[in-house]
Amino acid sequence: MKRVSNVTMRKRLVTVFLLGILVFTIITIRLGYVQFVIGDELMNRAQESWSRDIIFEPERGKILDKNGEIIAENVSAPTVMIVPRQIKEPQKVAEHLASILDMSVKDAYQEVTKKASIVRIHPEGRKISEERADAIRTLNLDGVYIAEDSKRHYPNDEYLSHVLGFSGIDNQGLMGLELYYDDLLKGERGTLSFFSDAKGHRMPKMADVYEAPVDGNNLQLTIDSRVQTIIERELDLAEAKYNPDGALAIAVDPNTGGVLAMSSRPNFNPEDYQKVDPDIYNRNLPIWSTYEPGSTFKIITLAAALEEEVVDLHEDEFNDDGSIKVGGATLHCWKSGGHGHQTYLEVVQNSCNPGFVTLGEKLGAERLFSYINQFGFGQKTGIDLQGEENGILFKPEQVGPVELATTAFGQGVSVTPIQQVMAVSAAVNGGYLYEPYLADEWLDPVSGQTISKTEPTLKDRIISEETSEEIRNALESVVAVGTGRGAYVEGYRVGGKTGTAQKVGDDGKYMSNNHVVSFIGFAPADDPEIVVYLAIDNPKNTVQFGGVVAAPIVGNIMGDSLRALGVERREDGLEKEYRWPDEPLVEVPDLRGLTKKDLQEYLVNLSIEANGSGDYIIDQAPEPGVKIPQGEEIRIYFDEEKPD
Amino acid sequence: MFRKWGVFLSKSKQKSLNAPDLLLTISIFTLLIVGVIMVYSASAIWADYKFNDSFYFAKRQLLFAITGILAMFFIMNIPYLTWRKYANPILIVCFILLIAVLIPGIGLERGGARSWIGVGAFSIQPAEFMKLGLIVFLSTYLANNQKYITSFSKGFIPSLLLIFVAFGLIMLQPDLGTGVVLVLTCLVMIFVAGARISHFIGLGIIGLVGFLGLIISAPYRINRITAFLNPWEDPLGNGFQIIQSLYAIGPGGLMGMGLGQSLQKFFYLPEPHNDFIFAILAEELGFIGGTFILLVFLLLLWRGIRVSLAAPDTFGSLLGLGIIGMISLQVMINISVVIGLIPVTGITLPFLSYGGSSLTLTLCSIGILLNISRYAKL
Repeated sequence: MKRVSNVTMRKRLVTVFLLGILVFTIITIRLGYVQFVIGDELMNRAQESWSRDIIFEPERGKILDKNGEIIAENVSAPTVMIVPRQIKEPQKVAEHLASILDMSVKDAYQEVTKKASIVRIHPEGRKISEERADAIRTLNLDGVYIAEDSKRHYPNDEYLSHVLGFSGIDNQGLMGLELYYDDLLKGERGTLSFFSDAKGHRMPKMADVYEAPVDGNNLQLTIDSRVQTIIERELDLAEAKYNPDGALAIAVDPNTGGVLAMSSRPNFNPEDYQKVDPDIYNRNLPIWSTYEPGSTFKIITLAAALEEEVVDLHEDEFNDDGSIKVGGATLHCWKSGGHGHQTYLEVVQNSCNPGFVTLGEKLGAERLFSYINQFGFGQKTGIDLQGEENGILFKPEQVGPVELATTAFGQGVSVTPIQQVMAVSAAVNGGYLYEPYLADEWLDPVSGQTISKTEPTLKDRIISEETSEEIRNALESVVAVGTGRGAYVEGYRVGGKTGTAQKVGDDGKYMSNNHVVSFIGFAPADDPEIVVYLAIDNPKNTVQFGGVVAAPIVGNIMGDSLRALGVERREDGLEKEYRWPDEPLVEVPDLRGLTKKDLQEYLVNLSIEANGSGDYIIDQAPEPGVKIPQGEEIRIYFDEEKPD
Repeated sequence: MFRKWGVFLSKSKQKSLNAPDLLLTISIFTLLIVGVIMVYSASAIWADYKFNDSFYFAKRQLLFAITGILAMFFIMNIPYLTWRKYANPILIVCFILLIAVLIPGIGLERGGARSWIGVGAFSIQPAEFMKLGLIVFLSTYLANNQKYITSFSKGFIPSLLLIFVAFGLIMLQPDLGTGVVLVLTCLVMIFVAGARISHFIGLGIIGLVGFLGLIISAPYRINRITAFLNPWEDPLGNGFQIIQSLYAIGPGGLMGMGLGQSLQKFFYLPEPHNDFIFAILAEELGFIGGTFILLVFLLLLWRGIRVSLAAPDTFGSLLGLGIIGMISLQVMINISVVIGLIPVTGITLPFLSYGGSSLTLTLCSIGILLNISRYAKL
C-alpha cells in the first residue's frame, strides 16, 4: 500500500466525517425551526385538522325602540336534519319530506341518500314553520330529526323596514341596521369541539372543549315607536289618497340628532324581502334620494341672512312684481303677478322667490355657500346606516348670479332629506349641527344592563341663539299666517316651511306637473323638541303645492306626536289667521224631526229660512253633515204631522 | 470490561483480535430499543385498526431486531477479508436477484413498485442486497486498483459504469430512494479512495444537466420539488405527507407530547411506523428526543469513520466507510424528508423504521463493521 495514498484517504475520511457533522447540524437547525419557530402555527393548523366542531348558534340581539318595545326579535324556526345512514326506506322518506317541504321528490331523495354523517336540507328544510316541523315529527321517521334554530322576526311587518333592514338565513345582517351593526348584533358562535382521528372517530382520552355561544347585544334605538306609528299611518293615508311615486318622512330630536322616526314608501316586509324588487329595499329614500329641495331650503338662506345681519325682517321691505331679473335671466315667483309690497317677514311667510333672490344677492355667493356647507349640505350626515348619498352643490367656480339666485330659493342644488332635517334642526335649536343617529344604547341580552350609550355628536355651531330665535319666530308665522297654515296645531306653536320642488326629467329639463311637495316643521317654536320632514313625490289628483299636500300631513304628525311625547301645550303662540278657504266651516245639523221649540238652541250660529206651516221639521236643505260657511242660510220645511 | 465480549467470539481468534467497538455497539442497541418502542407507539392505532392487535408490528419488529442482532454477532465473527474473496460471486448473485425482481411473477408488486422477492415474511428486497454487494465489490475493486484511481478512464469511469448499471436496474422497479443511497454511497467511497476532485466536479455538472433534462422532458417531476417547498399548495396531493409530518413535528415542541401521546398517528400520517417514524418520535419526545436520536446517529458515524481510519488495509477502510456511509446517508435523507428539507424519496430510517429485511440487513452490515473494528490499529 502506498503511503501517500493512505494519507489522502485519511484526509478524505475526515472530510467525509466533517461533512456528516455539517449535514446533521443543518438537520438539527431545521428541526428546531419546525418545532420552535413555526411550531405554534403548525400546532394551530394541526388542531384545526384534529378537531371537529359542533356549532352552537348564538341568539341575535334584539332591536328595541326608545321605550323598550321590541321591533326585531327571534322566533323558533326548526331545521330538518337528516342522518342518511339511519334511513331505511329512502324513497318513502323522500316522498314524505318532499310533500311537506314543497320540494321535488328527486331532490329530497338526493338529500336523504347523501354520503355524509349529517345532512341539512338547504334551503327548503331550514327555518321551517312549527306546523311543518310538527307534520314531520308526527311521521316519526328514522334518521329524520328536527333541530332547534331561530329566525329573525319583525312583529310590526313593514314598520320601519328600511331602517331595520333584514338578516339572511344564517342570521347574518344584510341590510339596514341589521347590516350596519351586524358585528354587535350577531354574537359569537359557540362550539363543542372534540378531537377526532382521520377516519372521523372520536379520539380516546381527549377531553371535549365547549365554548358557549355569546348572544348578540340588544340594540335600543332612538326611534320612538309611538312617533313611528304615527308617521307610518300618515304615509299610508297619503299613499292611499295621492297615489304618489314615493313618499318619505323623518322625525328627529333637534337637541341630540337622535332619529325619532323614519319611513318611506314604497316599503317592504323584512321577513319577505325576497318578494320585492331589490331597488325597494336598497333605496332608503330619507338618506338615499337626492333632489332639489325647493322652498324648504329657504330656511338656510334666511339663517345666513339673519346671522350676517344683511336683513331686518320687520324693517326692510321688498316689492315683488312677480319676477326678478338676474344676470340677464328672468326668474319668476311661484305666484303669478307677485306678492306686491311686503316686509321681509312677509317674504318668508309668502315664500316669495324674488325676495329670497335679493337675500342671496345681499349675502353674495361666498357667504351663502359657506353657510350651505356649514349646515352640512354636499356631504354625508354620518347617520349609522349604509347607502347615504352626498347630494350635489354648485362648485364655487360655477356660481354666477343666476346660480346664486336659484340656490337662494332652493333650486339647482341637490340634497338628501336627512341633510335638510339636520340643517333645519341646527337652524332652530340655537345653531348646533348634530350628527343624526339611530343606535342609542347597547344592552346586555341577559341582564338588560346598558353596555354603552351613544353621546350626541355635535359637529358644528353655525348660528347664534338670537338668530335661531328669529328664524323660529319667522317660521312660526309661516305656519300661522303664511304658506304653511295646513300644519298649524292648536296649542303647540308649530313652525315650518313648505317646499314644492321641480323634478328634472330624463331629458334634463324640469318636468311639468310632477313635483316633490314637502314640508319641514318643528315644534314647539319656543323650544323645539321635534323636527319633522315630509316629502311626497308626484302626488296625483291634487294641486302639487307643499302647503296643500304636505303641510296638513305634517300638522297631523306634529299634533299626535307632541301629544304622544307628552310635550306641554303652549299658550302664547301665534293665532292662526283664517282666510278663504280657511274660514272654519260649520257642519249642518240634522234638524229633521225636531220641533220649532227645539230649534231655539241651534239658532245661535245659523240663519234659518222657514217654509210651510206646522210644528214639526220634515225636511231641510242642505242635507245634514254638509259643511257650510258660517252665516249661510239653511232652508227648513215644516208640517203639522211628526215625520216617521 | 472488553473481555465480556468474549462470549460472542470464537476462541481461536480471541488472542489476536480487539474487542469490537463498544460505543458503536451501544449506539446500535440504543437505536434498536428506541426503535422497537417507537414502532409500537406509532403503529399501535394502525395495527389495532387493521389486525385487531395493537402489538402486531411491535412484536414483529422485536423479532426482527433479535434475529438481526444474532445475525450481527454471527457476521461479527467472520473475518471481513472473507468478503473480499467472494466479492465477485456476491455481486453476480445480487445482479441476478435485481434482474429477477423485475420479472412479473417473481417480483412482488407493492405500492406501485416491484421491489420484493419471496413469500410473505420471508421476502427480501434485492436492491438492499445490491447496496451491500456493491459496497463489498467496490471496496475490493478500488483496493485492487488504487493506483488507477486518479485516472479518468481506468479508475473513475469503470466504477461509475458499474454503479449506474445497478442504479438503472433499481430505477426500473422503481425505487428512487434506494438508488440514490446506492449511488451516493459509492461516490463517497470513490472520493475517499482518492479520485480526482476535478472528476467529481465534471460529474456534478453532468448530473445537473441530466437533472434539468429530466425536468424539461417531464415537467410533472417539478411538482415533487414544489410540494416540498410549499406543501400547502397541494395539501391533499403532493404536499399531503409532508404536511402531516410537519403537523406531527411542530406541535412536539421542546419536550414533546409525551411517549404514546401522538395525535398524528391516528390515521393522519399514513403508515406512521414506516418512513415517517421520526415525525412521530419528534411529536412524542420533542426536540430533545429528536436531537438525542440525531446525536446517536452522529456517534455511529463517528465510530464508523474511526473504524475506517484504523482499518489495517485499504479494503477494510473502504468497506467500513461504505457501510457507515450507506447507513448515515439513509439517516440524513430520511430525516431531511420528514422535516421538509428535501422532497419525498421513500427511504426508511435505519434501526427505527418498521421493516424486517432492511433491519436484518442493516444489522448484518454493522456486523461486518464490528468485525473490521476488531482488526483496527488504534
